[in-house]
Amino acid sequence: MTVPASAASSPAVSQKASPSTAPSSPPLRPGSTADVREIVGDAIARKAPVRIVGRGTWLDAGRPVEAAGELWLDRLTGIVDYTPGDLTLTARAGTTLAEIARATAEHGQWLALEPWGSDDGSLGATAATATAGPMSGTLGTPRDVVIGIEAVVGSGELVRGGGRVVKNVAGFDLTRLMVGAWGTLGILTEVSVRLRGLPEREVTLALPLPNALAPLAELVTRLRSAPIAPLGIEMVSARLAARLGVGQQAVVIARLAGNADAVSAQRAALGTFGEMSDVPDSVWTAIRTAEPAEATVVRFSSTVARFPEVWLAADRLAATGDGYAHASVLRSSARVVLPHNEGAPPDAALQLLRGTIRDTRIFERLPAALWPVLAPSRATDRLSGGVRAAFDPHRLLNRGILGETHA
Amino acid sequence: MTHAPGLAERLAEVVGPRGVLQRPGELVVYRSDGLPGYSKQPRLAVFPRTRDELVAVVRLLAEHSVPFVPRGAGTGLSGGALADDVVLVGLNRLTRILSIDPVERVAVVEPGVVNVALTRAATPYGLHYAPDPSSQAACTIGGNVAENAGGPHCLKYGVTLNHVRAVTAILPDGEIVRLGSSEGEVEGYDLLGAFIGSEGCFGIALDVTVRLSPNPQAIRTLLADFTSVDAAARATSEIIASGIVPAALEMMDGATIRAVEASIYAAGYPVDAEAILLIELDGLEAGLEADVARVEGMCSAAGARMVRVARDDAERARLWQGRKKAFGAMGRISSHLVVQDAVIPRTRLPDVLAVIREIAERQRITVCNVFHAGDGNLHPNIGYDANDPDEQARVHAAMREIMATCVAAGGTITGEHGIGLDKLDYMNLIFSEESLAAMCRLREVFDPARRANPGKVVPVHSCREWHGAPRAAWTA
Repeated sequence: MTVPASAASSPAVSQKASPSTAPSSPPLRPGSTADVREIVGDAIARKAPVRIVGRGTWLDAGRPVEAAGELWLDRLTGIVDYTPGDLTLTARAGTTLAEIARATAEHGQWLALEPWGSDDGSLGATAATATAGPMSGTLGTPRDVVIGIEAVVGSGELVRGGGRVVKNVAGFDLTRLMVGAWGTLGILTEVSVRLRGLPEREVTLALPLPNALAPLAELVTRLRSAPIAPLGIEMVSARLAARLGVGQQAVVIARLAGNADAVSAQRAALGTFGEMSDVPDSVWTAIRTAEPAEATVVRFSSTVARFPEVWLAADRLAATGDGYAHASVLRSSARVVLPHNEGAPPDAALQLLRGTIRDTRIFERLPAALWPVLAPSRATDRLSGGVRAAFDPHRLLNRGILGETHA
Repeated sequence: MTHAPGLAERLAEVVGPRGVLQRPGELVVYRSDGLPGYSKQPRLAVFPRTRDELVAVVRLLAEHSVPFVPRGAGTGLSGGALADDVVLVGLNRLTRILSIDPVERVAVVEPGVVNVALTRAATPYGLHYAPDPSSQAACTIGGNVAENAGGPHCLKYGVTLNHVRAVTAILPDGEIVRLGSSEGEVEGYDLLGAFIGSEGCFGIALDVTVRLSPNPQAIRTLLADFTSVDAAARATSEIIASGIVPAALEMMDGATIRAVEASIYAAGYPVDAEAILLIELDGLEAGLEADVARVEGMCSAAGARMVRVARDDAERARLWQGRKKAFGAMGRISSHLVVQDAVIPRTRLPDVLAVIREIAERQRITVCNVFHAGDGNLHPNIGYDANDPDEQARVHAAMREIMATCVAAGGTITGEHGIGLDKLDYMNLIFSEESLAAMCRLREVFDPARRANPGKVVPVHSCREWHGAPRAAWTA
């Protein structure tokens, strides 16, 4: 992939591009939306597919991408608009979550997403992947939190969806369409989000987690109807608990927040469940960043009724593959992380994955060769194909990441 | 000109002769929705009674290449449910609640189920359906999905979009698709998110799976009374910036208060106030009083004369009835009422409200404000006489100025009523031609023939390769 002569000489593009279409061509690092537009225009002219790299985190997430060049967004950074009293913020796509956290914390506010991975990740990648961390059961996913986007779509146009206000129904919802599209419709260049006030107080408490179905189901039912207002309730397998330093047994940890009265009442309510212990708040960051560099990650999303059963299956899979599991009680969603040994999870775990677990499962990370075997494309229906064709008719952006085989 | 040969007869075979209306006198009621100033006569109206009939109707319309407009209860406020010489598909007979699952906290409903009927059905389980538009006693879930409807309690709980898990829809060409899932997450594009709020342009919901929310343990409703709109606006900005998220935070100005108090909906609002805030805090019992005290303090600091907390459910219901029936109460002031809708950043409330007042004075019109202050969602309502051309012209000029003011403040032209017909002319205030063209392309994915709700949401000239309204296909 190359850039036009005019752009190649501009400071916006970090390295002079070579005419080669080999994946080894130097990465493009636009510094403005106009640069991104120029790059997409050039990609269209050359029919050269582009891998959107963002800040380079989570590069093994999603299916393998076919591309002639990489587009980094690590220079497209900075908060564009932040009026604390509005509780909204707009930033360029490459802005790190850490920068946003710093700016908002000064005003007692936060971007309540806390997605999987560290705060070195970007706002753009969080929106593009719609990744939902341990608080999303209460505080929403990027699909709820993002209120507007600017994007250069695969056909070269600059489009905006939504806006910078918290309520907006003007026009068809390009924002919801782009959030979670993994960059296959457009390259996000700017994202607007709603913020929240930081809770006055918070506390994280751990309870032992039963490993038999009946007591587990009873615990989940009680937790869902208890007089508490948790930001998150996460079940943690024994192996992960040990890594997090919260004991050697599986636990369920709850993050409770509110004013002083609310927090102490919730603590008392949870105390009736059994032997309870305090856990440092930092455990939430530790859960988000526990993943090894090379791993298979799969999520099992279920109904409330089947969730305890799904958790036990996920826990078994994790144990079989020498990995760990955790699950959101409020979202009925379990996540299994299987570290790789010579590039793949252990055979026994793969056997289980192939056969026994049939719930809604979504792979996040997987060795390249296993994608077609375990995770056939989910975006092959007529409408999804039509949407792709409407926005990225040449299939230039992150080609293959959603596994679609036709546009 | 009469209808397309055979179509009415074939529709009648599906829905029965009483399910098809085509005499002008029968169609009068369908010429308008909740917004005055527009009158469009449908060619005919068809009212399926079951899902199978609805599917058959849509497929018949597809077979005849006939454009159509879906319509719920007709309470919309953007002219979106008006059928201009095309077929109107009335969904108000599809009123079955198909299931309520208290464990999963979901309900599956047909599109014609009335919003409040769903909450009533969920009450025995300690659950409710959170989005609560002011028209909730009449409006339908299908209409709410089409408009991505809001309501006072959306401040804390989110709009329709945040409460729909799945939709089974019939596309304009007759294909049935499942969007979203009630069984868990789905990978791929958020087609459900795109469908919600598409104003009937992407198809018709056959059934909707909605999330039901547990009723809060405790609720406190506060009434704060101010001698100026400005002071109430400042209190609102303070509360929002504090990080406390009230369940609802509504403002009514003096003109609205007095209209309500003179009506059968009198709620005991102070008639000498220039603004009141209706603030609801809910959640756990523990800690709620502390939040109430903080909010009271912020109101007083901003200049509230008095803050009172509703003593019981009866008083709370009365305070809310005044707010929800305010539009009805305004009917006493003038023959027609435009309920406007725009959103601004919440810190801009004091200055934008001042500009709106100035516009009203200059254009010699009456503007009453009753709106969702907590999310910056303004409803400047203009009472007028639609039979007075001069007044109507001034109303239109004022409306355009108000929209431009909200956009200039960083806001948008609609927060919950939709674009419909009414806001088409304002779309280019906030979206570039490229963005509008992208919206047209999205619409064509769902409806390549552009037969569903033609001429709404995106201005026709923004759609490249637009062949004109496809009406000719069935009149010839």
